[in-house]
Amino acid sequence: MIELRNLTKIYPSKAGETVALESIDLTIPDGSIYGVIGLSGAGKSTLVRCINLLEKPTRGQVLLDGEDVTAAKKKRLGEIRRGIGMIFQSFNLLEQRTAAANVRFPLELNKTPRGEAKQRVEELLALVGLSEKADAYPSQLSGGQKQRVAIARALATRPKYLLCDEATSALDPATTESILQLLKKINRELGVTIVVITHEMKVVESVCTHVAVLDQSRIAEEGRVEDVFSFPQSEIAKQLIIPGLIRSIAGGGGNKLRLVFHGDTSDEPVISGLAIECGVPANILFADTRRIDGKTFGHMVIELPENGKQVSAAKEYLAAHNVVFKEEL
Amino acid sequence: MNGLLASKLFGQLIETNAFPLAVWETVYLTFASAAIAYLIGLPLGVLLAVTDRGGLKPVLWLNKIVGIVVNIFRSIPFIILMVALIPVSRAILGTSIGNGAMIFMLVVAAAPYVARMVESSLKEVDAGVVEAAKSMGAGTFKIIWKVYLPEAKPSLLVGAVISTVTILGYSAMAGTIAAGGLGSLAVTQARPSNAQDVIWLCVLLIVIIVQIIQELGMYLATRTDKRIRAKGRKKKAEAGK
Repeated sequence: MIELRNLTKIYPSKAGETVALESIDLTIPDGSIYGVIGLSGAGKSTLVRCINLLEKPTRGQVLLDGEDVTAAKKKRLGEIRRGIGMIFQSFNLLEQRTAAANVRFPLELNKTPRGEAKQRVEELLALVGLSEKADAYPSQLSGGQKQRVAIARALATRPKYLLCDEATSALDPATTESILQLLKKINRELGVTIVVITHEMKVVESVCTHVAVLDQSRIAEEGRVEDVFSFPQSEIAKQLIIPGLIRSIAGGGGNKLRLVFHGDTSDEPVISGLAIECGVPANILFADTRRIDGKTFGHMVIELPENGKQVSAAKEYLAAHNVVFKEEL
Repeated sequence: MNGLLASKLFGQLIETNAFPLAVWETVYLTFASAAIAYLIGLPLGVLLAVTDRGGLKPVLWLNKIVGIVVNIFRSIPFIILMVALIPVSRAILGTSIGNGAMIFMLVVAAAPYVARMVESSLKEVDAGVVEAAKSMGAGTFKIIWKVYLPEAKPSLLVGAVISTVTILGYSAMAGTIAAGGLGSLAVTQARPSNAQDVIWLCVLLIVIIVQIIQELGMYLATRTDKRIRAKGRKKKAEAGK
């Protein structure tokens, strides 16, 4: 379990001080995939770097399984860091080493015997699906392959935690998805607790179990992804979940409802149902839903006619079909 | 007055095998000095890179002091530095003339230059890679040894070529303190008797030596760089399709 207690990071700057993180309290439970989302400059990268002390917090504590990391001596800090893998947006592979030698790097650092290291490297490259690229140099690999090597390298010392700093931000959507699936697999099969820093809601939606929304150095809200996603409380979370364009279209009168499909929603086509069963024509302004394992997830913004009766009929119908809705727009 | 070709001196020098000896002395002065200059300059360069602001272990006062010393030595023209070092050489080596003294002076002039070369090579190493190594629990020494130096190797080799050629240029002033080599031959023997043929042969031989160092060094630098080689391969592979 990773616990951040009153974590504050202040950078001295010419104009006085820049507060990157302010009194952050966060608990990352074991086994979770914890997303930290925010706009750029919100302090996400600083937050994740405070966990393995790449950045030294100005105030507050970082507790790793109860141990205060900020108080660790140099030698102990090295050991702690070996128990926390980290991957980056720009992959940060050693360019002059092959994929296999990159994965071997942390094993060289902790003096793993040669034969054992060789075997471990093979295992890891197999895990990330890059066995045939063992002798390739980073410059011969695609972005997605580089990130796979970086993941294998981060896992070499069998860490309990994996920190991902915008790990998919430099990748195209298809590659992003494959990397996210790999992270899920690592979480599921190896039981690694993963912290995912991102500015993309899609990343959180697709892999995370929990999410903290960071805004202007503070945590705006946090919780289980389905809760935060279905009922965002803070302005920033709403902004991240519902694209700004849609908000502006949705503005200006009319009865707009945001429908949330959270998996328990009935399989019936609700919008058709609204029209046929209630006689309420709904205008779809925005929709972002997908079916996972036969269940529908996502959300939709619809516009209803300016007629009180019809609106309440529509709401009744939606409630009966287990669609969560909010008149928040 | 001697003619432009086949001066009397030229004949004498051929007979006494003076040219091969001068070539050897130039090569010897250059490489011995370069090697010792790297023994001193490489650690100094690492120190400069590591202790700088934003470096691995910033120690600003130390960085400042070393930086100033390096700059002082680098700003003194070599010919003046040589003259100034004569008593120092006499005190340390017991002599201020000959090849030994020349190597001493070349090292003093070149080590600071090498330090700056090394520093700039190390600073090219991606900070992200260094951060990744830190996140894996690597300490300062490990990062220098396993990240900075190997990752900067191609750039360090290019720097070594440039430094060596610079030292070769300095070595031409060896005549000033009765040391040998092609420069000395041209200045102390050919110039007084105006043997143009000898001077030009010396020039030609120096150009050839520089070319060999340059080409060989660059070949090594390119060959060891996994980034360039990979690109070349990719191009080849694409052309083959």
